[in-house]
Amino acid sequence: MEAYLVAMAIITAIYVLLALGLNLQYGLTGLTNFGHVGFFCIGAYTAALMGQIGIPWPISFLAGAALAALAAWPLGLVSLKLRDDYFAIVSLGFSEIVRIVVTSEQWLTKGVQGITGIPKLLGFLGTGLTQSLAVLALLIAVNVLAGLANRRIVRSPFGRMIEAIRDNEEAVKALGKDPAGFKIQVLMLGAALAGVAGGFYAHYIGYIVPEQFIPLITFYVWMAIIIGGVGRISGAFAGTLILMIFLEGSRFLRGVIPFVSEVEMASIRLGIIGLALVLFTLYRPQGLMGDYTKR
Amino acid sequence: MTAYAELMIGGLMSGLVVGLAALAITLVFGIARFANAATGDTMTAGAYVALSVSGATGSVIVGGLVGALAGAAIGVVVYFLIFRKLAGRSSVANLLASIGVAFIIRAIVGVIFEHQQQVFQLPLVRPWRILDIRVQPSDLNLAIVAVLTLATVFLILYATPVGRRMRAVADDPGLARISGISPTRVMIALWALAGSVSAVAGVMYGIKTVVTPEMGWDMLLPAFAAAILGGIGHPVGAICAGILLGTIQEMATPFVGFTYKLAISFVVLLIVLLVRPSGLFGRNEGAR
Repeated sequence: MEAYLVAMAIITAIYVLLALGLNLQYGLTGLTNFGHVGFFCIGAYTAALMGQIGIPWPISFLAGAALAALAAWPLGLVSLKLRDDYFAIVSLGFSEIVRIVVTSEQWLTKGVQGITGIPKLLGFLGTGLTQSLAVLALLIAVNVLAGLANRRIVRSPFGRMIEAIRDNEEAVKALGKDPAGFKIQVLMLGAALAGVAGGFYAHYIGYIVPEQFIPLITFYVWMAIIIGGVGRISGAFAGTLILMIFLEGSRFLRGVIPFVSEVEMASIRLGIIGLALVLFTLYRPQGLMGDYTKR
Repeated sequence: MTAYAELMIGGLMSGLVVGLAALAITLVFGIARFANAATGDTMTAGAYVALSVSGATGSVIVGGLVGALAGAAIGVVVYFLIFRKLAGRSSVANLLASIGVAFIIRAIVGVIFEHQQQVFQLPLVRPWRILDIRVQPSDLNLAIVAVLTLATVFLILYATPVGRRMRAVADDPGLARISGISPTRVMIALWALAGSVSAVAGVMYGIKTVVTPEMGWDMLLPAFAAAILGGIGHPVGAICAGILLGTIQEMATPFVGFTYKLAISFVVLLIVLLVRPSGLFGRNEGAR
């Protein structure tokens, strides 16, 4: 039971990192990134491949973050020229292309078979509960760091600038500030966070296949920040927790309700995420914990 | 040479599917003003309905017609339950909701029809040989279906009162409203039309390949690319761009491989958006 709870907490913490990245991009700056899973994937594959040849994890995680940020740079340049909804489609396409590339380039990624035998994080602690707890502690430390950095950004002139871009880009331009650089930086920062999350994911799970990086993951993260309240750092934590309780809870529910196969449960889970996306967009776009005075 | 001619025919067929899907997207984008990501999964739903009806009745034509009706019903229901209430909200809110709708449709399809891939039970027919090029008779039938569908859509758009109203709303919603055009009735017609066109595209795609719960979602990127290449809100453009894109994808397969053909639509999408966002045929409306 403890082992299970710790495993849950680790996955949740990885998703919180993803949510913090997206919150920076969409919540604070208004960048409609529908391709978050692409950066997650880049980080995971980079860290996995480097880990396999024996490069220590801090270096490979940083490399994953750097590559993810680098991949976000051209996407950021594109975002400057496009309306929100067009950028959403382009970024969604981007994440699909990343998945196609890791599926096709078999010499590097082993294609659909995926990469197995990725060294466990902090493997010198063995494979028991101690190791899991240590990974969790490390993840929490990284999350706290990312959360604090996020808060620091919000309260800095940079934060005021990106929020101004979200609220009224024209006004920002009229004041003689150029939103372009800020948007690109934010996109790269969020992507780097997703890249780090990918590194943790690869080294915790131990194997990765392209199928783990479908767009549904992106919308899990979207769901998390919408539940938690768009643009709120605490919301990224709370929303992810609620999402994870639901995703895991649905696994237990299957034990209680008879005649539901795992495949059907996967469909039901997809449907409920869809329903939640629709209902939140309709009735509570500011999220469960967002500003209640606004509609 | 004959191999290329056969690839070309295959490309034209998948181009017709992409074109129909792009037509559905462009109709909604032109009038309801957002990118409808549920188009792909409406295709899937149409294909599954057609599959089970044609299995029960033994007639693919009846199955296809019921599938198209189901697509229209899905469109209208989704409009009434969701997009009617989102009118006036940002296009991103609508897009996000349409992704939710896509997931819901796929979940329902997955629960009812399971996840194994299925195929339409069609009689095996010996292909014709024209100048040594193999032509499947079923391809010809599908092409006729596509042409009939297109003819119907364009007749509705350009020769009926409701079509004229739809084009008026697409041109200028405010002007249409003060001219006494009821937005609700136009929208019902629009969603029914877009839904049935998506379903027909799904049925065609299902007949050409296999029917799986993910088939429609996978068509979304090429369909978006074709809608934008053709100029958003431009029905003729969507069809032409779809056929062009489908053909390019199939013709390029021997060179870039099966998995990378999807990447072609992404590259086309990106180039069009950056270089000429109004597309090949579109008015300059601004993707920026």
